[in-house]
Parts: sequence; C-alpha cells; structure tokens
Amino acid sequence: MIIEHPLLGPRDAAEFVYLGDACLIDRPDWQADDAAEQFHEYGYLRDNPAGEHQELWYHEQGDRSWLVVTRDTLSHEITKVEMARDVAKARGRGK
Amino acid sequence: MWRSSPRISLIRKGSGFVVKFNLVSAPPLAGYHQAFGGVTLHAPEDLAIVNMAVPLGGDARALKAVNTGYGVDLPELGKSVETKKGAARLVRLSPDQAFVIFTHPAPDAEDVVTKRVKKAMYLTDQTDVWTGLEINGPGALAALERVCPIDLNPGAFAMGDAARTVMEHLGVLIIRTGEDRYLLLSASSSAGSFLHMLETSIRNVI
Amino acid sequence: MTQVEHIGQAFKFFEDDERGTQRISVFGQDNRVSAGLVNRAQRLTFSFNGKEMTGFQGDTLASALLANGQMLVGRSFKYHRPRGILTAGSEEPNALVELRSGAAKEPNTRATVTELFDGLEAKSQNHRGSLNFDLMAMTDFASPFLTAGFYYKTFMWPKAFWEKVYEPIIRKAAGLGSLSMQDDPDSYDKGFLHCDLLVIGAGPSGLMAALSAARAGARVILADEDFLPGGRLNSEVLEVGGMAGSTWAAKTVAELASMDNVRMMTRTTVYGAYDHGIYGALERCTDHLATSQGKPRQILWRVYSKRAVLAAGSTERPIAFGNNDRPGIMMAGAVRTYLNRFGVVPGKQMAVFTNNDDGWQTAADLHDAGMNVAAVIDSRDVDAPMVLPGVRHIRGQGIMNTIGRKGVKAVQTTGGVTLPVDAVAVSGGWNPNVHLTCHQRGRPEWREDINAFVPGGVLPVGMAVAGAANGSMTLSACLAEGQAVADTQITDLGFTPVAAEVPVASDESVNGAAFWHVKESRNRAWLDQQNDVTVKDVKQSYQEGFRSVEHLKRYTTLGMATDQGKTANIPALAIMSELTGKPIQDTGTTIFRPPYTPVPIGAFGGRSRGKDFRPYRLTPSHKWAEENGASFVNVGNWMRAEWYTQPGEKGWRDSVDREALTTRTAVGICDVTTLGKIDIKGKDAGAFLDKVYSNTFSTLKVGRVRYGLMLREDGICYDDGTTARLEDNHYVMTTTTANAVLVYRRLEFARQCLWPGMDVHLISTTDGWAQFAVAGPKSRQLLRKVVDKEFDLSNDAFPFMACGKVTVFGDAPARLFRISFSGELAYEIAVPARFGNSMIEGLMKAGKRFGAVPYGTEALGVMRIEKGHCTANELTGQTTAHNIGLGKMVSQKKECIGNVLSQREELIREDDVKLVGLRPVDRSKGLIAGSHFITKGDQANMANDQGWMTSVAWSPNLGHSVGLGFVKSGDQRKGEVIRAVSPVHGTEMDVEIVSAHFIDPEGKRLRG
Repeated sequence: MIIEHPLLGPRDAAEFVYLGDACLIDRPDWQADDAAEQFHEYGYLRDNPAGEHQELWYHEQGDRSWLVVTRDTLSHEITKVEMARDVAKARGRGK
Repeated sequence: MWRSSPRISLIRKGSGFVVKFNLVSAPPLAGYHQAFGGVTLHAPEDLAIVNMAVPLGGDARALKAVNTGYGVDLPELGKSVETKKGAARLVRLSPDQAFVIFTHPAPDAEDVVTKRVKKAMYLTDQTDVWTGLEINGPGALAALERVCPIDLNPGAFAMGDAARTVMEHLGVLIIRTGEDRYLLLSASSSAGSFLHMLETSIRNVI
Repeated sequence: MTQVEHIGQAFKFFEDDERGTQRISVFGQDNRVSAGLVNRAQRLTFSFNGKEMTGFQGDTLASALLANGQMLVGRSFKYHRPRGILTAGSEEPNALVELRSGAAKEPNTRATVTELFDGLEAKSQNHRGSLNFDLMAMTDFASPFLTAGFYYKTFMWPKAFWEKVYEPIIRKAAGLGSLSMQDDPDSYDKGFLHCDLLVIGAGPSGLMAALSAARAGARVILADEDFLPGGRLNSEVLEVGGMAGSTWAAKTVAELASMDNVRMMTRTTVYGAYDHGIYGALERCTDHLATSQGKPRQILWRVYSKRAVLAAGSTERPIAFGNNDRPGIMMAGAVRTYLNRFGVVPGKQMAVFTNNDDGWQTAADLHDAGMNVAAVIDSRDVDAPMVLPGVRHIRGQGIMNTIGRKGVKAVQTTGGVTLPVDAVAVSGGWNPNVHLTCHQRGRPEWREDINAFVPGGVLPVGMAVAGAANGSMTLSACLAEGQAVADTQITDLGFTPVAAEVPVASDESVNGAAFWHVKESRNRAWLDQQNDVTVKDVKQSYQEGFRSVEHLKRYTTLGMATDQGKTANIPALAIMSELTGKPIQDTGTTIFRPPYTPVPIGAFGGRSRGKDFRPYRLTPSHKWAEENGASFVNVGNWMRAEWYTQPGEKGWRDSVDREALTTRTAVGICDVTTLGKIDIKGKDAGAFLDKVYSNTFSTLKVGRVRYGLMLREDGICYDDGTTARLEDNHYVMTTTTANAVLVYRRLEFARQCLWPGMDVHLISTTDGWAQFAVAGPKSRQLLRKVVDKEFDLSNDAFPFMACGKVTVFGDAPARLFRISFSGELAYEIAVPARFGNSMIEGLMKAGKRFGAVPYGTEALGVMRIEKGHCTANELTGQTTAHNIGLGKMVSQKKECIGNVLSQREELIREDDVKLVGLRPVDRSKGLIAGSHFITKGDQANMANDQGWMTSVAWSPNLGHSVGLGFVKSGDQRKGEVIRAVSPVHGTEMDVEIVSAHFIDPEGKRLRG
C-alpha cells in the first residue's frame, strides 16, 4: 500500500507500523467515577468495520509522525491522511 | 583518529590520578574509500550531526535563531540546505526536528551548534549515532534503485532533497548532495550491514 | 490421402514411415524451414538428455528441440504419459525440463520460454529409466484407480500405511523435476522502480500504449516476459503500417529505447498487481547466459506506478478430445509462432482442428510456407473462411481420437475419417489474459460474442486494460485501443497526448463457435495436462457433488499446477456448465492469484542470505571482545559477548563462573551499549515521564537516576530501566535491549496522540554512546583512574543513583551513572561511541591492578538472578507490578499509562503469584527453569499448580543453583519447602522458597 503522508507525499506502507483504531487517541479521564469501565472499553472493545476505518499508523522509517489514516478495510482505498497530533489537538487533547 | 589531530591534546599535563591512556577515536567506517568503475563509495571524515528540536510554540524564535546563526532559513520538510560557505547542511526531518550536519572532529559538536542557535532549540548530539557513506558517480542512481524505495529520479528528488526511509531493513537518511552524489546516513551499530548493502548494490550494477 | 479403416493398420502404416525426406536439413535440424526471425549466422550447441543438438540465436529451447525433431520432451505428472510441446509461451503445461547441472540445476523450467544459449544442458523430467522407456509409465495403465480425488478414497487401509507406505510411493511417482539439494550458487537482487505509466506487455497494444505515453512526456516502463518484444507481431504474417508486423515492432522498440523517459524491460514478467499501483516484476538477467558472471541472476522489482496499462494479450485454449495429449499435438497459434518466428515446423504432415476462423490462419501460413496440410477439421458446419488449394476441409466434425504413443501418428475424426499426420494444430479460441485484473479480487465477466472471459469487476487501482487482454481480438483494434487507453491514463495525470495516427493494419477474422470438447471421444480427453486432469475427472467431480468451480478446482486439482490452468480452466468450466445446464456466466470462474508465472524463492529472498539475512549490530567494543576470546550471542540484531574464554578454561561455565566471582570480589566490566537510550528534552520532560512511567520522575533531582517501571494500558508490566536527570529539561531514559524500538514508538504515541500539548522531544541515542558497566567492590577505585581528577567520586559526592557529566582520560566527554544491576557497588560509564573500543582498553588498563575482568551476558545473567532483578523471563507480558513486588511503585496519585486498569481486582489479588527466590534443598542439584511448583503432599497436576520457575543459574558465589520464580502468595511462604516438578524433563525436586535477593539483601554493597 501507499500512504499519502500529509507532509512527505506518497510513501510505501513498509515504512510504517500499524497500531489500530484511531479511537486510541481518546484516552479516558483517569479521574472519572467510572474510569475503570471507560478504560476497559478503551483497552479492549473495538469496532471492526468492513469499510471505512480510521486507524493509526506510525512512520517509523520516516519522520516518526503518527498519522490518522482513513482506509476502507475492504478495498484498501485511503481517503484521508492526517497528522495524529493535529487530530488529537482537535479532539481536545493537551497536556 | 581524533587523538592524532594537532588541534587538541587529550592528555592533561600533570595528571596525578588518571592512567595515562590515549582514547582513540574509531568510528565504524572511518577511512573507508572504494572506487568501483563509475561509482565511488566514501565515508566522509569527521561528520558531525546535531539534532535540533523546535520547542512547542517556539517556531518563530527557532527559525530566527537558525537564520542568525547559519545565515539560511530552516528548510522545508524533506529538503536540506547548505549554509552560504558550505560550512554546514541543515536537514529538516519532521515538523519540529532538523539535523545540522557539518565537519568537526572533536566530540563536542553540540557545543558548536549551541554557539550558533543559543537556547532557541533543544540540541542533542547525534554524531556517533550515525555513520555516513557518500555514493558518487553516474552509476549511483542505478545502485540505489536496488535498495531505496524512494523515487530518486532527478525530476522527483532534486538537489538537496532529503528523505528518511528504509533500505534492506536499515533506517537510512538519504540526501542528494550533487548531480550524481548522495549522502546516506544509517545507524552506526549496523555499519557493517550498511556498507554491505551499498557495496552489493554497486557491484550488482557496474 | 489414405483412409485406413482400422486403427491398428494405421499404427502399422506409420511405423514404416521415414522421416525428414522432404526437409531442408540445417545442421541436423530436420524441422528447420527457411522462415523466421532467428539469427542463422549464430549457431548454438546445446544438449538434451546428453544428446548434442544445435539451434540458432533467437531460439527458445522448445523451438530448437522441435527443429531437431525432438517431439517427446517429458513425462506427465501423474500418469507418466509421454508429452511434447503444447504452446510457444509461458502458459506451457507440458514441456517442463531441468536446466543446467550440479548446484545450478533448475527443475520445472518451461522450455517454451527458455532462451537458447551455447552450452545449454537440458534434461527431461519425471521418468525412471530413459525418457523413451519410462518404467513408471505403468501408472498410466493403473489410471482407473488414480482418478480425481483418489487421494481421499483409495489407500485408506490399513490406516497406518498411509504415512509410511502409500504416501512416499505416491510422492515419488508423482511430481516433476528434482532439486539439486545444494545451495543455490546464484545471487538475486531486488529493486524499486517508479513511473507514471507501467505498460505490461510489449505486443501491439502495449507498444502503442508505451509510444503514445512516452511521446507525451510521461515516465514509462514497458515490461515484457519475452526476450523479443512485439508479442504476437513476431508470430504472425500480419502487416502494420505497410511493413511486416515484426519490423514495425522492432522500429517502435527502437524509438522507445531512444527516449530518456522510457525504461524498456524485456525478460521481465509483471507477476502481480498489488495495492495502490504497486506491481511485482521479475527480471531474468542472466538466465539466457551460460553463467551469471557474478551478477544477480534475477531481480525482483517493486514497481510504483501512477497508472498502468495491462496489455498482456491472450492465450489460445485447446479443445479436449481423445488422446489429445500426444507429442505433436500443439496449439494452432503456437504452430504459427514456431513457423513464422523461429522457422520451425513440428511435422511433415499436419492437420488443423479448429472451432474458429483463426485456426485456418495456421493452415494458411503452413500452406504458404509450402508445408503439407492434410486437412482442416472445423467443428462448425460452415464454409471455409479462406481458400487453401489442396487442403481438405472436414466440416462439422471433430477429432475423436489420436493414434501413436510417443508421438501422434494419425487422427480419427468423429465422421470416421482417419488421417495419417505427425502433428496437429488445435485452436479452441483465445482467452484474454485477465490474470492481473483478478489480483485485487476483480471478477472477469463472460462475453458471449467472443466466448471468453474479459476483465470485470473492480480492477486494481490505476489499471486499465487494452487489446486482446481486454477482448479486442483484431490487430487494428489492439493498436487503436493501446493508444486510446494510454492517452486516457496519462491525461488523468495531466499530460497532453500527442495526437498520432494509429498505423493501418491488416485485420484477422475472429469468427468462432463455443465448442469445448469432442463428446464422442471414448478415450481420455485431457484438460489440464500439467496436473493430468481429464474431461472424465470433471464429470466425476460433478457426479460427486463438487459442482462449484472452486470445488471442481480443489477436487480434481485442475488449474492448481504451476501454470494455474492457463490453458485448462475455461474448457473445464465450460464442461461443468454443460453438466449443470447453467450458462458459463452463471457457472462463474475462479480468479487468479499472483504470481502470473512462477517466481523462484531465491528471488523473494533477494540478498538476504547467510550473515546478511538481516542487519547485524555490533557493540562499540566488539573488536576488542573478538581479540579477547569472546563468544558472541545474538540478542535481537545485536551481537553481544556472552563470555570471554581464558586459556585453560574447558567450557563456558568455567568462564562464566570466573567472571561472576571476580566481579563480586574485585571488579568486572561489561559492554551494556545495547540498552536503549532515549534523550528526552523539553519543559514538560518530567511531566511527560510521569505519564509514561508508573512512578514519578518530575520530582527527581538533577544529577540523580531513578528506576522506572512502565506499564501497558491494561496494567501489565511493559518495560523497565533507569532514567537519569542530567539537566532541568533533560532526561536520559534507558530501556531494555529488546524493547528499545518499541518503547520509543510508544513514547512518540504518548507525545503526539495523548498529550500533544506538552513541550517534550525525543531522540534515540542508543548507538551514540558506548556504555560500560563497571561493577564490583573495586569499581570506584578503577574509575578513579579513569575519570579526570576534578570529579569527586566519593560516596558522599557521588552516591548510589547519582549521575553526571564527567570527562575521562583527560578531557574526553563522558556520562557517569551510579547504578547497579549486579547488586555490587557499580557504575555505568558512557563515552561517545567512536571511543568505545578504546574505552574498554583504557578501563582494562586502569583495572589491571585491581584484577578487573570483562564479563559477558551470561555472567550478567547469573549476577542479576543472584540479586533478584527481573528481565524478560519475569516480565513476560503477563506480569503485574504486584507480582514482582513493586505494586507500590504504581502511583494512583497521578495520570499515567496503565495505573487505572492495574487496579483491577484480579490483578491485585493477595493470593496471586509473587516473585521469590528458590534454592534446592539438596544443594548439589541443579534447578530447572520452567518447573512448576506443587505443595508437598499434593498431586502434581494443574489444579494444584502453585507457580513456576522463571530463571535459574549456578551461583558460583553461593556454590549452588539459584532460581527465581513466581509462587502463589510467595511473599508469605518464605522458608517453605515445595516441589519443583518438570514433566517435560521428567524431574522433580524439593526446593526452598527464599528471598529473591540471594546476595546482599539489605543493599549495603551497592550503597557502599
């Protein structure tokens, strides 16, 4: 596969490491009353869509960026690639 | 070898406690030079590398410091730029990270860069992390084609372009430094595999 | 034409026939005629089964064998039937031979694509005794017992016989060539190519596509499996642009070759279409040479294309009829190739059997070349599409049976006509080569008008198909479509096509009928000649309920040979469709997988052989270690010294015991560079470490080191190590050797995805610093001789867990850490890696007066077990901080990875296993790692399992075996004697549960 890196252009997927669902960015609040339940869901429960999927890829043999890649799991079509850092910030993550 | 450099003496006179011993600098590929038909492979001497990390929110200050210290702007991602007198090459590796590559034999490269950019960036000496090989000659492109997944066609990889990628399972930073000349940097611990990779590639195409 | 009523008479008649009388004999090449594109000035000598023969430059092995009248070239896979050459291309199922000899021997090579070279050695395969008198040919007579699915039905009794008797016999009888059983003497390479347009196939469509794209300025790669580009243009007498097709092809290739933006790759098979425009291609660089002269034999290319044009042409399919596998029975298009390209005819008296007009072209070409064509047998009851004086037209009939054994001698038609012929050209129509369109699961669609499958469904991204591969079966259509499709493709990329006239070409007639097999045939009619599958096998498959194409394929093995059924699949499918009464489009088709043609494993391996199978990493002191008796062990990619053998030491234990003892009594030095080092800088560096470690680092003082424990998000231990604070905003983290890359990755994840608002920067410095552990009671004295005098190393100034930047041997920069893995007074000292090899010399020189020894990973392991420190044996990915007695290190007062889930009930049970030390009650016994613990008096079973032994070592310091292990509530059971049982080793012994700290449990030494 080819991943269109937002800053570096098309790169072979061989340069990347796959992690999984981009919901891993949404790490729960450790102080929430139901933190244990939330972390359980965060750690173990995933959707496994046959179709569009937002997932995390790490450009290990490249600029070391984490990317959020929107990929169709049936056709492997990649429709969107974003810097995970920007996605995380947009989802309200900070310090 | 560093100790043979006339500029610095490592032996402090009158040292009472310390054993008299000369630490010898022996980077893995030091002195390597080999010509293969139309291609030469050469380990540049005394290549110093310092990482510059741009502090969060400190972009403007960092860019200014680089310009003041080196007289050039920090290049775009995937590009490198030589300072006016060719004293150093700045390579942008990621949004908040760049390498300064220059020739400097002493093991204090970080101090050299600190003098230029002050505290505008976080610096880390990377000199001994990497080992460099320069491939030069009309057959260089054909040799690199055997290992490099990046499109190095002159139209796609212009002079000064830089890319970090993987070749034969080795992480490699490749920079086009001339018409048919490329500087490749890879981890110093796997220097033997790195050299083998390039030698084999050249032998297979010449 | 003599018509013989009785088959036996026909047989006798042709036995008396004399060969070669009407031929121009060229150097003994009885079947060579005057046409062709071979270079007659360059004669080549080769051997087949030891017999010397000649051919010409430009021949394939197949064309040269035919030229020499060698019709029988091999024996079939299952029944050992005599087989000849069926095709002239890569679809060949029969003519598989062994090339070369010794280590370079290569079995199962298709003679039809083997370029002839001087000195080529070829041998036939799959026979015992000679090719002519194969002792295994009796299997053919046993064929009633060996039909489809026989594997599943026969040889079932007695059961024990299958593995030991039946299977070895069957395996020996079946199969094709044999391996040399030696290392492949050739080298292979890989490579990467980039282009705007990849054109697959250099026939008329491909040449037009490449030409048009190249003229427009696109970067073009044109790849063809043949060594002579042109495709069918080299096989036909058709004209293009007023010249012979082959001449036009050569001129076009010359123009392409002169353009900088074109890469012309002959002898290159594009074997697979992968995601996002990536193609796999195999270039055969030296297969056409006697030796590879030190260069890679083949290159496996990964081609990155923005667009691709598949112009792979089409493959002619046979018609199944009785005994249609005899040598001399060939595809009609192949006969034209041998005639027009190679100047070879396969026989003296030929018949053509066709269901379409194109078959007639073979008769015409043979006729025009002055050959004897006995008849054209057309399955259609139609008028002859062309006038061929003297050629008999047998209409509305088929060949029912053939006569001969090692070569065809006569054919018998359904109408009772027997023709004495020594070669038959068969045409069942043409199948577009849709293979690569299926590699991303595209499903071909049936086109009634051409009776063939054409590309369908979703094609691989960026691919378009042109010419015969797309079902466009005439030359002018191929030329026009090649250009049009390429123009569309490059327009997408922003190029402006150069409007060029498509050259005028002659058009062939493509009328044909759906006719798949001769139903009247009572003899076996072969479909898949490589796997020996017949029409009868398909019928049997149907009768036994294996009716879907996928079942048919697996039950009969049809299409599962190395040719993937290129000539077999469609006729078999059509027969299944007849049996089920469903039209072909509803019967469906199997789809193809890569590779299009076989790719040697060596090519996939590339250069990765022997020492260079993967990168190896050396420690900075490797050279010194080599010179000083070290044995090395692979730790991931690293090579680490495991021990240093001294003169007189008889085994590794001698060395390891000495190293561990000397370190504990004097001082030892160990290269620990392999531990991961991550430079962490930024205003939020400390806060960041608090997030990723279970314990706190923001409170660590500058100049101090702390042990850190990293958890996974699920609360399980992930990694551990020490992290030093060198400056306010500067920490240096160490990781375990194995996890260096993984920890770095997670830290980047934490930095970019979880806490992107932190000012923190990471960079690996693992290779940058040569780091040595200097351990033992005399380590401070030793370092005093190394570290420059202005640095105070006293216990007060530089206590346990201190760190700092120092200089050594007069001004060389270094970092000093007072940390201990051995449990002794110990330091780690790091210098820039360039000084690493020299540094160990300096350390040894300074340590000489203290009796310093270098120690390797084994002594390191012994000492850490003696001290009760964990490594991967304990931190297995199932271990919690609670298990290793570090539960209190997991802070609940801050946010950090893993702390929430680490508090789950099951993970903090009081009666869970705890890390303990173990020693044998009988001190002379050696503990066994992996043993499970059983309470005394209990039965040794899983229900009574109390835990397991994780690490064991002989302790030279204590004089007995010591172990670490996990025992249920182990922290409460010190002093208890428990059984250590290892059913694997058949051992059992009593062991005592003790503290994991065998040495210096109070930690006085390391603080001293």
